[in-house]
Amino acid sequence: MVARTEIASVEGRKITSSIGMIFLLVSFSMLFATLLLGYAIYRVTADEWPPMGMQRVPLFLPTVSTFIIALSSLALWKFEEFFEQKKYENLLLPFIGTVVLGCAFMGVQFRLWSSMKDMGIFVEGGVFPSLMYSLTWIHAAHIVAGLISLLFLIPAMVSKNYDKYITTVSNVSKFWHFLGIVWLLMYVVMFVL
Amino acid sequence: MAFFEQHIHEAPKTFLSKYIFSFDHKVIGKQFLWYGIFFLGVGGIMALMIRWTLAFPGVAFPLIGKLMFPETGGVVPPDTYAMLFTMHGTIMIFYAITPILIGAFGNFLIPLMIGARDMVFPLLNMLSFWIAFVSAILLLAGLFTPLGAAAGGWTSYPTLSTLIGSPGVGQTLWAMAIFVLGVSSTMGAINYITTIIVLRAPGMGYFDMPLSVWGLGLTAILNAIFLPVLGAGVLLLIFDRVFGTTFFLAGAAATSGTGDPILFQHVFWIFGHPEVYILILPAWGIVSDLLSFFARKPAFGAKATALSMTSITILSTIVYGHHMFTTQMSPLLTQSFMTLTMTISIPSAIFFANWLGTIWKGSIRFHSPMLFSLGVVFVFGLGGLTGLYLGTVTTDLYLHDTYFVVGHFHYTMAASVLLGGFAACYFWMPKMFGTMMNEFWAKVHFWITMLGLNGIFMGMMIVGYAGMHRRLYNPFVYDFMQKMIPINTFITWSAIVMGLSQIIFVINFVHAVFFKKEKASDNPWEVGTLEWTIPSPAPNYNFKEIPVVKCGPHEFGNPNLTGSRDFQYQTEELA
Ligand SMILES: [Cu+2]
Repeated sequence: MVARTEIASVEGRKITSSIGMIFLLVSFSMLFATLLLGYAIYRVTADEWPPMGMQRVPLFLPTVSTFIIALSSLALWKFEEFFEQKKYENLLLPFIGTVVLGCAFMGVQFRLWSSMKDMGIFVEGGVFPSLMYSLTWIHAAHIVAGLISLLFLIPAMVSKNYDKYITTVSNVSKFWHFLGIVWLLMYVVMFVL
Repeated sequence: MAFFEQHIHEAPKTFLSKYIFSFDHKVIGKQFLWYGIFFLGVGGIMALMIRWTLAFPGVAFPLIGKLMFPETGGVVPPDTYAMLFTMHGTIMIFYAITPILIGAFGNFLIPLMIGARDMVFPLLNMLSFWIAFVSAILLLAGLFTPLGAAAGGWTSYPTLSTLIGSPGVGQTLWAMAIFVLGVSSTMGAINYITTIIVLRAPGMGYFDMPLSVWGLGLTAILNAIFLPVLGAGVLLLIFDRVFGTTFFLAGAAATSGTGDPILFQHVFWIFGHPEVYILILPAWGIVSDLLSFFARKPAFGAKATALSMTSITILSTIVYGHHMFTTQMSPLLTQSFMTLTMTISIPSAIFFANWLGTIWKGSIRFHSPMLFSLGVVFVFGLGGLTGLYLGTVTTDLYLHDTYFVVGHFHYTMAASVLLGGFAACYFWMPKMFGTMMNEFWAKVHFWITMLGLNGIFMGMMIVGYAGMHRRLYNPFVYDFMQKMIPINTFITWSAIVMGLSQIIFVINFVHAVFFKKEKASDNPWEVGTLEWTIPSPAPNYNFKEIPVVKCGPHEFGNPNLTGSRDFQYQTEELA
């Protein structure tokens, strides 16, 4: 039997919401793990890769994306740190940095898709384009969701209410960092290797 | 061990906030219950149409046949037959059993049994129901599209499910419905897991939780981990159908890199085998509790039961290959999957023995929930044993895709879970709606259902063993099947009788919910778990004071008990 333990309300809510968030991220990881595993299987079983005389996607744009998303994660990490320290006056810059870099990431993704079209890689053109487009689409859809979730940080900045918004701040940043990690894995598996 | 105390919320006043967009876990549970019962009816009628076609090929389906299939004069046409078994499977698994066991009883029982005032994320809970509602509309919309609903089987294997196999919008809607439902169930699962971790009443360790909560919690873990796998699979299937990708197109191999239909099967069964346990674990938990409650004995080896359910949960993630022995898998792999599958027998045998140990020498009270629980013990025993033949490579090669498989998985997933769901329904009725169902008609309902379903599924295993294929519109075009017409007719009559007997349940249920005047007492079954310490029906805040737990859920016959009581509340401490 466990002794009766009471945890202060804010601390309790923090732990609770991070438990929920971690399980949510486990679910998301399984989604992306399945997709990447599928990629690996097609890749390993193919005679040559990319098949049918298609060309590899040049590394330039994906590398730019990787840097952008890493920087945006860094900015959001700063944001979280300032919020934890209750330095509310410093929040604006890292927030704008995260949003702008997030949008820039989406912009580069659109460039990437049109450059793939210029190379003659079309969605209907077999399994290699299928994988390149579908996986980046699904990740981009999550980035859009992440960008929307960043908007929930605005009330946190305006109200300067630590107790009320600390869980929002930590959940949104967990989700955003997670998307960054997923992109990094996709970058290595799909573009570098 | 609650991480924080939930405050008592005011009771909602408007109709909308009370019954439609309610945050209350009990109301959401009831919404899921009605949702599940509705789909149980729809799926049941589809089953009867399938059975009718198999017993009386070329004869018009009675009553509604002429209305539904006017072109053929009421006979189920072959393409519709494929849609019927597809939609029957999908509806029963995802839209009837899942909402009733996990949506309804998961929602209703978890907070009450662990002494919490609500789920930890009430908003997420409400969204989970309404997203499931959207998914149901997507699925049913498929029935009204020009080319009809999905017809690729509930497993929706490519190429049956690609644009080549099913060109209609119905299959796309099916895939979207499943994806959306997956989102809903994942949200529910995260809520359940977090609730169980953070909101257990002070003093309640994990082994002080009733086994129902164990079952529901393990189910939630499997859901959270494996539904996204299916989600990825159907998402790519949707892409194949809508955007022209070629993940699962076999024909593409020769021209432009390899698409692979078998890969979908892998993804499907990585999810699909845990799904079997997602469906059965809540029923196992509920039955483990009820057997102890009605045998008036502590659950035999409750800790071992909980641990063997946990090890089955873990093992269930690495055996999926036994569904794919006939896909030209390497023999090394089939042997490994076979061995792993057989390993599941060990924990299964442990908790099955514990069930028998629980009722052994008990002073059994044969109320309707107990009858249904004993029914589960019987049908699950049969279902589990017949699974051995399908997990063994040599026998599976012969039995694969026959009605033996259909009989087996109906025993485990349909019969056990259905009986478990009914047991739960009869048992928690007073706490949910404040009235008891009629006991006499409950017993009539049990016996007809029990005999009916054994007639159906035992018959299916026999015709399957004799070689009847599971998806043929009219198997009697083959000479060797001629001799199986009588037994198929028998199966169909069993199904009709069992189907009709469900009307007894519906009337009994509706009467108890809406018309019965006589109120149930707070603890009609004389059980000590936390939900029976509060009034019936449960008030909107559940517990006025958060209870402090002193002992386990199955304390019966303690010699220190005073008075005529033979059970001990979880909040009591005896010398
Ligand atoms: Cu299986």
